[in-house]
Amino acid sequence: MYQNMLISEDRKFKTIIIQTQAYSQKGNEPDDMEGFDEDFDEEFGKEKPVSEVKRPKIYLTEEENGEFVKAAEKILKKHNLPDTGIYMAGLPAVSYFLKTTMLKDMRKFMAMAVITISIFLMILFRRISGVLMPLFIVILSLLSTVGIMAFSGAALKLPTQILPSFILAVGVGDSVHILVIFFRRFNRTGNKKEAITHALGHSGLAVFMTSLTTASGLMSFLAAAVAPIADLGIFASAGVMLAFIYTVVLLPALISIFPLKPKKQSDSRPETALSVSDRLLTSIGNMSIGYPWQILVVAGIILTVAIMGMMRIEFSHNPVKWLPEKSAIRISNEKIDEVLKGSTSLEIIIDTGKENGLYDPAILNKLEKSVDYMENEFVSNKVSVGKAWSITTVLKEINQALHSNDKNYYTIPQNKELIAQEFLLFENSGSDDLEDFTDSRFSKARFTIKVPFIDAIAFTDFIRDVTKYFERNYPEAEITATGMVSLFVRVIASAIMSLRISYSYAIIIITMLMIFLIGRVRIGLLSMIPNITPIIIMLGIMGWMDIPMDLFTMLVGSIAIGLAVDDTIHFMHNFRRYFEESGDAGNAVLETLHTTGRAMLVTTCVLSIGFFTFMFADMKNLFNFGMLTGTTIIMALLSDYFIAPSLMILVNRKRKG
Amino acid sequence: MKKLFHVLVISMTAAALFFPGSVFADDPKARAIMQKVDDRDDGDNMTTSMLMILIDKNGNKRKKYFKNFSKDYGKDTKRIMFIEKPANIKNTAFLTFDYDSAEKDDDQWLFLPALGKTKRIASSDKSGSFMGSDLNYSDMTDRELSDYDFRLLKETKLKGKKVWLIESVPRSEDVIEETGYKKSILAVRQDNYIVVKAKNWTEDGGYVKIMDVKSLKKIEGIWVSTEMLVTKRQGKNVVHKTELTLSDVKFNQNFEDDLFTIRRLEKGL
Repeated sequence: MYQNMLISEDRKFKTIIIQTQAYSQKGNEPDDMEGFDEDFDEEFGKEKPVSEVKRPKIYLTEEENGEFVKAAEKILKKHNLPDTGIYMAGLPAVSYFLKTTMLKDMRKFMAMAVITISIFLMILFRRISGVLMPLFIVILSLLSTVGIMAFSGAALKLPTQILPSFILAVGVGDSVHILVIFFRRFNRTGNKKEAITHALGHSGLAVFMTSLTTASGLMSFLAAAVAPIADLGIFASAGVMLAFIYTVVLLPALISIFPLKPKKQSDSRPETALSVSDRLLTSIGNMSIGYPWQILVVAGIILTVAIMGMMRIEFSHNPVKWLPEKSAIRISNEKIDEVLKGSTSLEIIIDTGKENGLYDPAILNKLEKSVDYMENEFVSNKVSVGKAWSITTVLKEINQALHSNDKNYYTIPQNKELIAQEFLLFENSGSDDLEDFTDSRFSKARFTIKVPFIDAIAFTDFIRDVTKYFERNYPEAEITATGMVSLFVRVIASAIMSLRISYSYAIIIITMLMIFLIGRVRIGLLSMIPNITPIIIMLGIMGWMDIPMDLFTMLVGSIAIGLAVDDTIHFMHNFRRYFEESGDAGNAVLETLHTTGRAMLVTTCVLSIGFFTFMFADMKNLFNFGMLTGTTIIMALLSDYFIAPSLMILVNRKRKG
Repeated sequence: MKKLFHVLVISMTAAALFFPGSVFADDPKARAIMQKVDDRDDGDNMTTSMLMILIDKNGNKRKKYFKNFSKDYGKDTKRIMFIEKPANIKNTAFLTFDYDSAEKDDDQWLFLPALGKTKRIASSDKSGSFMGSDLNYSDMTDRELSDYDFRLLKETKLKGKKVWLIESVPRSEDVIEETGYKKSILAVRQDNYIVVKAKNWTEDGGYVKIMDVKSLKKIEGIWVSTEMLVTKRQGKNVVHKTELTLSDVKFNQNFEDDLFTIRRLEKGL
């Protein structure tokens, strides 16, 4: 019975299973003297039972889980001998280490990203103020957002962990758009006040529109059934709007206070970043004006390849795989999965609905068959069971013990009375153990299935198939899947499902806003092409590189979408203005690229490099996050440099003709 | 001489706290009270019918009916219990020899009629559940006062009666291991030295078991708690409850010695 449960097949490994309580004990610590209170039951016969206090059940909190794992770790350290290996695995350990590693790495790489962004802002603006002012906006927005979070009592969970990166991206984007226009004007005229007014007039509305669109898109996360994701929706939206307010209110004030000297463009070195960019922007503009069809065909080919890659994307959520291969917890998990055929378990409750239902030999025989079937034949989505057991395992042991330990009696008694009496014997030896297998009425059987740690999506199928099997074979009973794994899987799966829905909403909201902001249905719809292109390319890369779509990827996708949309809005907004001024699409494209286009280039360089620093992380999901977000930002720029102008040229040319 | 219920309650006394040889110095006044509790006449040659109701956290009830006999042999006690209902386990029976000597483990036998066999049960660990109830075997047997430190917490009133609240803490890990309790608080009535309420902290699982005497009757001059509710809690949540009701309590019956034998165990009532 204990093989693969407590000891490995080769007898070299043994395991200790620690079961944590499912529910939080917070606020559940009664006073020692409770119940002995003088006033409490002073009057005879009027005594209220001390015990009937009902409190809502809260699942074990992350803090409690963390404390628990830390305590276990301490004990393990004490027992570590030089010639034996001790491994700790299982869901509680994984989630604890994941959380701590993530927090540490997130912090480290956020700091690195901020430093890189500062360096690049310095290079591009060649001014201290060009670094300090955007950072000020970012830090202020972040502090206010975290402040609001703390005030409303929302906890920092995995989803909200991406908030800092999000606000960094948005804050830098907002302020750089204003600053680029400001410095260009200021360098030309030397009039600070006039330049501020000009910059705000030029890009203020566009920044407001990008903020509004991003915030509205994020609001779609509110539809998520999973609280931390809904939290992300609220607080990221709040952060976006705060960054906007700080950008339009505080940034001008900062510029006024800061002592600034205009830099003459012509007199300094001609091959600086900015003048190189002038030439670059002009040639890009000329290309879009001259070869719109060709550009669209190339874009079409790229999109086709990306869509093919998109088809390959698999939904999968296995946080263990995020950890570096050499990390202790990953090694432990893999070791235990390998030698003991599973580090985690699924519980099935078979409720006969009848008191003493489990005294029935027929149902026990069926359970016994199920144990055998689960262990030897059952396969779902390539996952097979390491070990299964139920109350029958205990009953067989008792039966054997009652027959002088004769192995021939390792069977289920076929007599109701004997079953009842053997259970009584067991009940009598320690009901705590019995609780692991049945309820006190013997109406429900618990069926435990040990499985290797696999990804949440595969687990979803696994749980579904196991449940189906039991429902088919026990039509008279009620079947419930439970246990930590089932809980974990349900949370993740529903999070991923609701994010899929949220993203569909986001796309609809963004499309409607684009139409509304541009004022024309057709142009609004067309602007969705450069909006969505970078996202499709990102998905294509994921597909071709076999990066699974997990909860983390889906969450960070929001940053990419937010930034991609921003670029398009900036382009479309300014193009329309210049087009209305001059009536010439080509001229408007060039004009747009030289003003807002420059700001887009700066934000893109700065942010993509900032996000690329995440590629130095040990954790795979952070690496992917950096790579995908950085790439998307560049793709967004490229599609607004090439696809958007080409579309505008074609649309306006046709209209004229 | 021990009556089942008094024994139950005294055993709460057994319950105990974490640190053996701990900071709690023994309190002579509390010990004197506990000595009186221990010395109180609790009758002999007793027979009762017992109804045990197990109530799970959803309020589902299960009933078991027993017929109990007990007799003192010097400081030792012999007890035999037959299950009368439910039908599935009818005539299942237990025989217990409870030895006063600390060195000697109690003897226990269980007869399973469906198997027609008697099994001897190892009994060095008494922290296991008694018949699936919230009581364990240590709750059923007499405990040595010398195993515990006592401390008088305060005097108060419970159900209109003056009581002493006494904390009892085991002096050794062995006692904690055997009884399963690391600490107890007992409410001892001042007029008759009966433990009317007790709270026990379990060593494993972090449970608290509250034993509350709901009905106390004087039968043949001896106080008997005829109704008791045991509530097992985890924090503030009730995990399980056990209701015990005694009826047909009789003392000083003429039991033959062969009542307390395996032969009788197997023969049934």
